[in-house]
Amino acid sequence: MQNHTRPNYTMNLILIISLLLATHLANAEGHHHTGMVMDEKGMIMNANPDKLPRDCTQLSETVDITIHAGQQHATKFNGKMFAFDNQEWNVKPCAKINITFINDDQIRHQLMIHGLPGYLYPDGMFHLELNGAGKLQASLILPSQKKTYLVHCELPQHMEKGMKAQLKVDGGDGDLPSIPGISAAVNADDYPVDWTQTNLAILLLCVLAGSALPFLILKLRQP
Amino acid sequence: MTKQRLIILLVFIIALTAAALQFLPKTRQSAGISPPATVFTHSEETSSVEKPCSNEHPDWRPAQTIEGVDIAPALACEPDNPYEVATSVKGTNNVSMMTLMQTDLAQDALILGEDVDKDGDPDEIHIKLEVVELNGSSPDGEFLINTYPIAPGIQPGLWVYAPKSRGMALKNFNSVVAIPMLRAPSPTIRVEQGDKVFITLENTHYLPHTIHLHGVDHAFHNSKGEDNDGTEEHAVFPGKSHTYEIQPRHAGTMLYHCHVQTAQHFMMGLHGLFVVEENHPNNWVQTFNVGAGLVRHPSVGVKNTYSQEYDLVYQSIDKKLSQIIQNANDPRLVAQRMSRDYNMTESFENYFLLNGHSFPYTLRDGMITVSDNENVKLRIANVQRSPVAIHFHGHKATITAYDGMDKPEASRITRDVFDIAPAQRIDLHLSTQNNGVNSYGPGLWMFHDHVATGTTSDGMEPGGNMAILAYKQLLDEQGMPTMHDDLLNEVFSKDYYAKKQALWAQGDFKHLLGDAGLIIPPYWQIIVFGLAVGLLIGLALVFTLKRKQA
Repeated sequence: MQNHTRPNYTMNLILIISLLLATHLANAEGHHHTGMVMDEKGMIMNANPDKLPRDCTQLSETVDITIHAGQQHATKFNGKMFAFDNQEWNVKPCAKINITFINDDQIRHQLMIHGLPGYLYPDGMFHLELNGAGKLQASLILPSQKKTYLVHCELPQHMEKGMKAQLKVDGGDGDLPSIPGISAAVNADDYPVDWTQTNLAILLLCVLAGSALPFLILKLRQP
Repeated sequence: MTKQRLIILLVFIIALTAAALQFLPKTRQSAGISPPATVFTHSEETSSVEKPCSNEHPDWRPAQTIEGVDIAPALACEPDNPYEVATSVKGTNNVSMMTLMQTDLAQDALILGEDVDKDGDPDEIHIKLEVVELNGSSPDGEFLINTYPIAPGIQPGLWVYAPKSRGMALKNFNSVVAIPMLRAPSPTIRVEQGDKVFITLENTHYLPHTIHLHGVDHAFHNSKGEDNDGTEEHAVFPGKSHTYEIQPRHAGTMLYHCHVQTAQHFMMGLHGLFVVEENHPNNWVQTFNVGAGLVRHPSVGVKNTYSQEYDLVYQSIDKKLSQIIQNANDPRLVAQRMSRDYNMTESFENYFLLNGHSFPYTLRDGMITVSDNENVKLRIANVQRSPVAIHFHGHKATITAYDGMDKPEASRITRDVFDIAPAQRIDLHLSTQNNGVNSYGPGLWMFHDHVATGTTSDGMEPGGNMAILAYKQLLDEQGMPTMHDDLLNEVFSKDYYAKKQALWAQGDFKHLLGDAGLIIPPYWQIIVFGLAVGLLIGLALVFTLKRKQA
């Protein structure tokens, strides 16, 4: 499954999977799951290795990105539980990305990219999902627009607990909130302040100095 | 200034002060002849009012056969997804892609293996469960995510086990609402006596959990020699998985629950019914009953005696406990606040749920719907912190089993209040024969916990686990009780449970029982007070200035 780069890659894959499962994907397509490939390992939705977005005349670059997902990648951040191994990727307008998605956990993880053009990606979504530890490969082509795309795992509380990243095209249009290590939360938690004796002494000293200042000025102005 | 003048002035000042004090404006005041008018807090706006039944899937209600699985009709407003039922019977590996696509189940959620004893049903069952947080917090704003309201406007933080799912856990990318499979209570799990069952907990949550098979025949270690009892010291950490293995020799109504920080995790919702059905030939049981309630494909053993079967799970929530996951996002803070700051010995139960819903949402999927002369099997579990006393209006039912142990027929008890201690289960035989004992005839009969708190939602009645035992002829085509429009219009409202709405402000009683408005203070009092205080200030200023000039 890994080394298909031919344009009819998706069709081949569909054929293989259909035969393996002895099912009819044609039926599935009738149920709002166009462009979906699913097996016991996981699923790929809306992969696009060959269709150029309307605003692109040709591919600008082809980038290979490997993304690890798992609990272990959150250890470098405080107060998170799940994460990708990287939180930001930058590509040129009209770039093709070959994603290798690796799940290092024993549970399900996803890699979803949202906000893509709907005429190429139904619901504006590109979606990889691994049922457990394993690897998936799929490609997508991005439009030329300068934009920051949300990359996340949509299992309940996985994005909230750190599995959130961003993909920037042409430098992006800003940072998304609460990307671990990159941007602050909108709804940030409160933590108690560490008031040691040293800290308190510094505070007191500053207050004294400040209140003495007017007296000092008066004294200096006296002839 | 003369002495006389000074005395007059002093008297004047004292009089002014007395007047000011006498007419000091107050925050509350007693009414005179006419008390304040009634105000109508029952807003004419419809934003807080919901349709009693949204009727999303009328096609799911009738009896149907999917993948060769016979699925019983479900009259409720929100019937179980028949494709999910069929897949729960045949396994995710034995249904077509088309059927699987109609569910939210992962492809490996339920793998049914070999028919070892060659009696026409599979005996090797592989079940995968995940742990899901509902109504949790988000670092991205002041909102809850994967929302699952238990009643209008009520969204307590919950944890549940869920069959391994696939795809979006939200209805769509712009929504914060959980998909229907992610809900309370954790699904009822059904297996057949003698099946070799592998239950894999894939811990998708951010805190450690286990599965303890309460009352289910299981060895202390699994075949790998690892933990099989699901206790605290063998917690499955985030991102890890663990498989529990059983081959139950005894059939009955049991439980499964998390045994890590048990008091808190249990009350957060990590518990469900675990039913071991009697071994029979060609006995394909419905492995998952999502949201409990009506079993749309009952086992062979149950069908021999009963026309219908229901799973009823009574659950309670402490709002102080459930708010912990809504007030912090950092797992360290959640762990600290839940395990060390929170004190279970100082807890209260604020919400009471039947099958994951409080009244009036219990009317959508928590009803028992019957015809005359039916024999209905009820499996009831109490997973509350406190005992329940379940009462059926208009019926006396018979206890057939306690904690999965059959009661001999001669010593069975028939009564109308059933006391069930925490974690206990009873099996009931509910007969709808109109004989003056078992049933008093057709009706929309309430059934509920008779402990006073049980029918309230954070103290607001009617709420809690109130539900209806409905005779089919009294339901409309959407499965909602007829003749109750006024009540339904009142309680399917967020304002009602936010306690913003007067209770009986309807019809002729609108003015009598609406909310009392504010009292209007007498204007002359305000004028006198204002003049007195003003004069006092003026005098003080004049004297100060004069003194300075002198």
